[in-house]
Amino acid sequence: MSKKILAVCLTLTILLSGVAIIRVAAETTPMTAGQIDQIRNNCVSTKNTLSQLHASDALLRVNRGQIFESMSTKLMDRFNSRVANNGYNNTGLISVSISYGSMLDTFRLDYKTYEEHLSAAINVDCWNQPAAFYDAIASARALRNVVHTDVVKLNQYVDQYQSAIIQFENDYQTVVKEVKP
Amino acid sequence: MDEPQVPAITDEFAGSSKRRFLVFISTSILIAFVLVFISMYMYNSSGAAQLDLSRPGYVSVRSQAISDDGDFKNYSSTGTIDQSSITEFKTLYSTQAQKTKSVDAFGGDPLSPTALGLIAK
Repeated sequence: MSKKILAVCLTLTILLSGVAIIRVAAETTPMTAGQIDQIRNNCVSTKNTLSQLHASDALLRVNRGQIFESMSTKLMDRFNSRVANNGYNNTGLISVSISYGSMLDTFRLDYKTYEEHLSAAINVDCWNQPAAFYDAIASARALRNVVHTDVVKLNQYVDQYQSAIIQFENDYQTVVKEVKP
Repeated sequence: MDEPQVPAITDEFAGSSKRRFLVFISTSILIAFVLVFISMYMYNSSGAAQLDLSRPGYVSVRSQAISDDGDFKNYSSTGTIDQSSITEFKTLYSTQAQKTKSVDAFGGDPLSPTALGLIAK
């Protein structure tokens, strides 16, 4: 009885602890012998560069992410609330801040995907699988460009919100002039 | 004076007690593994792993993480709206917007094959 229980526990433990499945990427990119040699010769230095980039991008994600988050929570949302509490029309401001928030979610998700691919590229054996290594880096590179595009879009929304504030200010001044001619 | 009588430990009692102890230990280990599995899944799927600079490999950059964004002032969500409050917000927002856009984050192309020396220049 106890042996059976132990056997079941052991089996479940092995399953739950997660057997590391190493996914070997298919070597799709046709490469010349010269290219393969080039990758093998620079194998160690490339891995070091990738590891440094991995760390510096993580820092960038933490610091930039914090600033992007603060723009939304400490400024946009608070100003929108204050405008709404005073009974003014804030649809222009809200529209931009909603778009900004949804782009911030996209940025988080895209960075996560990029980081996972970069980590996978770092773990590919560049000596035995040079083509797979090359492909993994190409994939991470494309995803990094997506993250950069997200950052550019976030910056555009920051500018758009600034324009929305000016628009709101103009509307406010018009209302004030109408009340006090 | 008679010594107190200690009930004799039968083989059946000892076997049952041992079995229960094994079940208890096995169940505890199983529950611990299940909880660890769930927490690791949440840690990885939520994106927290990407923000965790305490992981190995981030030692060199850990100290550079901004832990206090005190210079990022909170705008009050209460109060009246007048020209001075709008101007105050505009100034605050403009300063922070400048900071936000000052860095071309994730720009450049450090993963290009040329930059990594994967193809001959």
